[in-house]
Amino acid sequence: MAKDMTRIIGRTLGRKVNLERVNVTVGPLSGISPESLRFCFTEIARMEGFGEPELVITTTEARMVCLECGHEYSASDFYQCCPVCGSISRRILSGRELTVDSVEIEDSAE
Amino acid sequence: MYDNDADRRIDISEPVMSRNDRFAAENRKFLTDRNIYTLNLISSPGAGKTTVLEVMARFFGPGMAVIEGDVQTRRDAERIERAGCRAWQIETGGACHLDAQAVGNALEHMEMEDGTVRLLAIENVGNLICPSGYFLGEDMRIGLLSIPEGDDKVLKYPSLFSTVDVLLINKMDLVPHLDFDVDRVVEECRSLNPDVTVFTVSARTGEGMEEFCGFVESNIS
Ligand SMILES: Nc1nc2c(ncn2[C@@H]2O[C@H](COP(=O)(O)OP(=O)(O)OP(=O)(O)O)[C@@H](O)[C@H]2O)c(=O)[nH]1
Ligand SMILES: [Mg+2]
Ligand SMILES: [Zn+2]
Repeated sequence: MAKDMTRIIGRTLGRKVNLERVNVTVGPLSGISPESLRFCFTEIARMEGFGEPELVITTTEARMVCLECGHEYSASDFYQCCPVCGSISRRILSGRELTVDSVEIEDSAE
Repeated sequence: MYDNDADRRIDISEPVMSRNDRFAAENRKFLTDRNIYTLNLISSPGAGKTTVLEVMARFFGPGMAVIEGDVQTRRDAERIERAGCRAWQIETGGACHLDAQAVGNALEHMEMEDGTVRLLAIENVGNLICPSGYFLGEDMRIGLLSIPEGDDKVLKYPSLFSTVDVLLINKMDLVPHLDFDVDRVVEECRSLNPDVTVFTVSARTGEGMEEFCGFVESNIS
C-alpha cells in the first residue's frame, strides 16, 4: 500500500524529489493502522528517493445507514450502533478510503 | 513565504486503491467475457483453503481452475493438480496478499480460451488483513474461518469480514473438542455485513461441502 502511494506521487510529480510533507486521508473502516502506515511509508519513501517526508494523516468519519429504522449516521469504527434505535444491523456507505491528497516539496529541493 | 508554500504544495487527490481497482475491473471483464465465475478465498494461514479447494476440485473436475497465491513454493498448486484441476501458482515473493495485476498476468498465461473452465478459484495468501482492500475481479469473495482460530476473529478483522459474500466456517469436525460458539460468529458477521451467506463445513470429513459446492454451482450461469 505504501508502495502504491509512492507510485502515485512519482507519477504525478514526474520526478524524484525530497518531500517535506505528504497529506493523506484515511477512512476509519479501511483497516489501516496509522502507525503502521506511517512506519511503512517513511521507509519506502526514503528507499524510493523522496527523502524523509512527514506523513500527515487525516481520519474521516464513516457513513452508515440503519437497516431497522433507515437513519443515516456517522461512525468512527465498525462497532457503533444506530444512535436512534440502537440496532447494529446496517449497511456501510463509506469509510474505507485511503487517498493521497497532496504533497509538499522540500524548500532546498528547488 | 506564503506564496512559496503554495508553490511547493502539489495537489494529488488520488485514491491509493484506484490502480488496483482498474486492474480488477480488467480481470472482471476478461473473465465474464469467457463466462468464467470467479471466487477469491481469504483466510489466515492453515485455515484450510487448499483442502477446501481439493474437495471442490473433485466436485467440479476440469471445469474448475485454480490460482494459488503463496509467498513461496508450488506445493499447494501441486495438491490441486493431484485432485484433478489445472492450477497456476503465483509466488508473491514476500508480498502478503495477491493484487489484481498479478492475477491479470496469471490469466494471460492460463490458456482458458477453450471454454471448458467455468469456475476459477483464487486462493489468496494466508492473511486476514492485507488481502481485504485488494479486489481481484472476483464475483464471490469468501472469508474462511476455522474452528481452532477461535470465535472472536470476525470482530477482530472487520475490514475483511464486512466485505465477504460468503463466510465459510471450516474444521467443524473439531467443534466437540474446542470452545467455539458458531452462532456468535454468524451473528457478529451479520452485524458487519447483513448480506453474508454462511456455510459450516469440514473439508476433512466432507460435512457440508456438498451444500457449499451446490451453492457455488447455482451461481455459475
Ligand atoms: N480437522 C480438520 N483439519 C483440516 C480441515 N481442513 C483442513 N485441515 C487441515 O488443516 C491444515 C492446513 O490446511 P490447508 O488446506 O493447507 O490450509 P491453507 O489455508 O491452504 O494454508 P496456507 O495455504 O498455508 O495458508 C492441514 O493439515 C489440513 O489437513 C478440516 O475440515 N478439519
Ligand atoms: Mg494453501
Ligand atoms: Zn436505527
